[in-house]
This record gives sequence, structure tokens and C-alpha cells, in this order.
Amino acid sequence: MSGRVRIAVARRFLLGCLPVVALLAYAIDRPAFAADRFPLALKDDRGVTVRLAAPPRRVVSLAPSLTEIVFLLGRGGSLVGVTRFCNVPAAASAVPKIGGVSDPDVERIVALSPDLVLCTTDGNPREKVRALEEMGIPCFAVAPQNLDAVFAAIERLGVLLGAADRGSAEAGALRRRARLARRSSRDAEKPAVLFVVSTAPIIAAGEGTFMDELVSLAGGRNVAARYSGRYPRLSVEELVAARPDVIFVAGMAGVERFPEEVTRWKEVPAFRDGAVITLDGDLVTRPGPRLVTALEGVSAALADWRTGHPKAPAESTGGKR
Amino acid sequence: MTGGGKRSGAAFPVLAAALLGALALSASTGPVPISFRAAFDAIFRGTDDTAARVLLSLRLPRALLGALVGGALASSGVAFQALLRNPLADPYILGVSGGAAVGALSVALFLSADASPLLPLCAFGGAALSALAVFLLARRRSGVSPERLILMGVVVGAFLNAVIMLMVTLAPPGKVPGALYWLMGDLGLGTPRRVAILFPYVALGTVLLYLLSRGLDLLLLGDHAAFQAGLSVERVKTATYLTASLLAGSVVAVSGLIGFVGLIVPHGARVLVGSGHRRLLPAAFLLGGAFLVLSDTLARAASPAGELPVGAVTALAGAPFFLYLLRRNGRRS
Repeated sequence: MSGRVRIAVARRFLLGCLPVVALLAYAIDRPAFAADRFPLALKDDRGVTVRLAAPPRRVVSLAPSLTEIVFLLGRGGSLVGVTRFCNVPAAASAVPKIGGVSDPDVERIVALSPDLVLCTTDGNPREKVRALEEMGIPCFAVAPQNLDAVFAAIERLGVLLGAADRGSAEAGALRRRARLARRSSRDAEKPAVLFVVSTAPIIAAGEGTFMDELVSLAGGRNVAARYSGRYPRLSVEELVAARPDVIFVAGMAGVERFPEEVTRWKEVPAFRDGAVITLDGDLVTRPGPRLVTALEGVSAALADWRTGHPKAPAESTGGKR
Repeated sequence: MTGGGKRSGAAFPVLAAALLGALALSASTGPVPISFRAAFDAIFRGTDDTAARVLLSLRLPRALLGALVGGALASSGVAFQALLRNPLADPYILGVSGGAAVGALSVALFLSADASPLLPLCAFGGAALSALAVFLLARRRSGVSPERLILMGVVVGAFLNAVIMLMVTLAPPGKVPGALYWLMGDLGLGTPRRVAILFPYVALGTVLLYLLSRGLDLLLLGDHAAFQAGLSVERVKTATYLTASLLAGSVVAVSGLIGFVGLIVPHGARVLVGSGHRRLLPAAFLLGGAFLVLSDTLARAASPAGELPVGAVTALAGAPFFLYLLRRNGRRS
């Protein structure tokens, strides 16, 4: 770990000060670097140690987020199988499909003779992954639970796929963007935010979800965090009682707009001010690089809200129409 | 069938009081605090603040919807149990639930976004179609027998279940959950408009069943005995089947599939007032209404994780209560 970080820091320093030397160093460093790491043994998020003799050349991804990360690392060409939900980037759609996230087709995967399968612990069925391992196919499980863990996962997958430099570079870039998105929210007014994944019935993102983290990173207060459970279902009355200033909708087909019988509650500031924002559902539920795009979106929306509500807002009486 | 016998005449006032009490409790429970004074003003003076609007357009419609749905399901259950001469019959036994589910999922899958207003209509259509299909399939020249009805209901139900599984499996992600939640049973859709739409169906259905109550009594004796008693058996069966299906279908359309009420409340009511349908039907309506309104109040108030599906609460809270009721009765007789 620390060795990799040190190399990354050194490389950034060289790139900054001495571009020519850096380029030279990069050219010399890279093959030596890859050779350094393989054969490699890396522990995954289940605690299973995965051993690879050489950088994998036939990779199967069992989750859209993992497919996105593989492409981000520049190793999209090594993918021989993805799920039918893997639609980002566009090139992923051309890769043969091995079924869904919860129903991957083991036989089809084996037929692709992969030298590595990337999976998650909170989506892929454990028995199927075990079946693949019993066939002698190394499976590397990733289960990031927060933004920082996503960045770390990108670095680790970089190492695993023989693209360690690219991994630390991309993770670093994402960290910088995340830091920038957060900076604007410090010491600012904290609007009450509700993040819903379904509008009818109203199902909110509670504690322990990426959406909850995005809201707090962007300087909002998630009103659904007080419920236990990750996805509490709220009645209209609970929504009215919570009075969110801003509502985000994780857009999925069919449930993007609130019905009129909900939006007519103008006691809710978000409905009164029209502060209901739809974000691409894939963006906020996939633990991949685009979470940062989602963070930027949430952060920008809350910044918008703050310009409309300068400090010490004169609270208007609710329900006045 | 639990024996009739002498039951205290106090059952009806008690049941009516239970329903009113349940409605009051439901209307006074919720996250927005509403004082008694505010409630009084809202109802009798027409105030227009948040508390008043929460009470009048969220809580009361929801409570009334619960009473109508619970009452209708229990009445429909009574009718099916008599028609099929089967204590395990409930409003969903003959394909109504599967048809409603296919109708609801079709909206979610095939119509574009925000078609949810169509969902109740299509659920009702699906329920009506499958109930009709079961009836026509089961009918022979000699008439409809309970055995054939159950058999056809099970076959049609199995077929529709397969269709449901296919739809859920092949659906694109994100399209199905809304419809599935809805199918789990939800009184949160209670708006004044929905209550107004449902009311005539339930009123018509329950009154028709009440008019059929002598026929239902005789059906329990068997077709032959009923015929001997001067009943036009087939006509009573057809009317009962269609009325009970109409009740179940219209209720499914506004609240999804709420289990347990239609199966067990009739037995509970029988314990209280005996099995004569002239008393049993109104008692089941009141008991079903009170029971569902209480279950919904519990579903809203009891959980720290937001709302629970009311269908889960009906069985969770209802099973022990009705077990007690039935066992107590068993010991006595």
C-alpha cells in the first residue's frame, strides 16, 4: 500500500516539476512496475486472497459499477463478459452478456474461460461466486460502502488488472473533484434534504446509503436518516411533517415524478419552491466513478438553494398560498 | 362452521363502537401533531391550516378507505366461504388476486412512465377478467359446482402466477418495484376521491350480498337441500359469485392485495354472532373494517423504519388474536 502511494506521490512530483524526466521515468518505470507486482496476491473485501500469475486478459464483470471501473482503468478491452445492466460506457454494451447482477449464468461465464471474475458481495449471489471459484476461476469481490472506499477500490482494481498507475491517477483525480464539490458547502446553511428512490410509494434513502453520504458531503441534512433501515417507506404525512427544503429523485423508469396529490402540499418548501431535482438513478446507486458526478450535482443543487436562501432566512409561514 | 346458538344481542353495538373507536384512533395518530381542538375546528369550522388539511385530506380518507376495504374483504370472504362451502376460501381464492397483479404489472411494464393513475383501473380490469374466466370455465350445463370453481380458480391462479413471474423476471430494472409495493397492500393511496369512487361499489356489493343472505344460508346445506327449500340455486350462486368478485376486485384496485382479512374475519364474526348470514354479513363488515383500520394505524405508528406494508401487519397482529378467538370458542362448544 504505502509503496504504491509513495510511487504515486513521486510520480506526481516529477510530472509537476520535470516533465521531460517524468516522461522518461514513466516509460522506463511502467513495464518494470507491472513486472514487480505479478505474480500477485491481493485480499478482496471478503478476505479471500486472490492470486494472479500475470495481468488478467479475459475478465468478466458481474456488476455495472465494476464494468465502469474497468473501462476507467483503460482495461475495457480485457472484458469478455458483463451483465445485461452494464450500459456505461457505450462500449460496454458491445461486450457479451452473462445474465444479470442477481442471476449471472455460471455456465456462460465458464464458457468464456475468464482468468478473473470481478464481483460484489451485495448483489451477486454468494453460491454462484462460489461455484465459479470451485471451477478454478479466481473471483475478486469488491463492496465499497462509501465514497472513499470506492476510490480505494479503483486503486486496488488498478493493481489487480495491471494498471496500478492509471488506478492511482484516476482515484486521485476523483478525490480532487470530490474535495472541490465539498469545499463550497463548508460553514454554509444546511438545508433539509430528502432523497427518494421511488415517488409512489415514497421510498427514501436512509442512513448507510450512498445517497445519504452524498447529501451530507454536499452540506445537506438528510431528513430520512432518523428512520432505521436503509430504505424507509414514508407516508405523505411523514413527508409533510419532515418539510424538506430540497428533494432529490433517483430517476428510475416509471417513478420519476411525484403524483399531484403529493406535490400539492405546499407546506413542503421543496414543493412550494419547485426544488425537486431528478438525478440519473444509475449515478447514485452504482458505487462507481460517477458517484462523484452525482456529488457534484447534489452539491450544485444545494448551492442553488443557498443563493435563494441567504443566511438567516426569514421563515415564511408554511401553507400561505 | 361454527354453531350459531344464542349470542348476546350486544355484539352489534360493540362492533360499531369498535369501528368508530378505530377510526378515531387512526385519525389521531401520525407524525404531524394535531390537537383535539384543532381537529374539532377543522371538522366543524372549516379551518384551513396544515393540521386541518392533514386531518381531512390524509388521515380521515385513509381511515375511511381502511374501513371500506376491510369491510368489503370480510363480506366477500363470507360470501366465498358459503358459496364454496369451504372455510379456507377467501376473496382471492378464485383468480382475483392474480388477475389484479397482472393488470397492475402490465401498467408498470408496458405503459410509459407516470401511468400510475391507470393502475387501479387496470387492476380492476384484470381482476374482473380472471374472475369471469374462472366462472365461465367452471360452468357446465348442470350449473356451477364448488369443486369445479375451486379447481378452475387454482388452475387460472397458477397460470397467472407464472405470467407474474415472467413479467417480474423479464422487466427492465426499476420498473417493477412500484407495482410490487402496491400489490403488497397499501392504504396510503386513500384520497377523498378514491374513497368516493370506492364507496358505491362497496355499498352496492354489500347490500346485494345482504339481500342474498337467505340464499347463502341455504347454500351451506348443500345444493340439493337448497333446491328442496325452494331456492333457485344456480341464480343465487351466480349472483353471489359476481357480487363477491366485484367487491374483491374493486377493493384490490384501490388498495392492492391485503391478505388475512377476508379469510379470518368471517370466522371471527361467526364466533361473535353465529353463522346466520343476516347477522353474519353486517358483523363481518364491521369487524373487518375495525380490524383493518387498527392494523393500518399500527403499520404507520409502530415501526421506526417508516411504514410497514399493512398486509404484513394484518397477519402478524391478526393471527394471534383470531387464534385466541377461535380457541376460546372451540372450548365452549
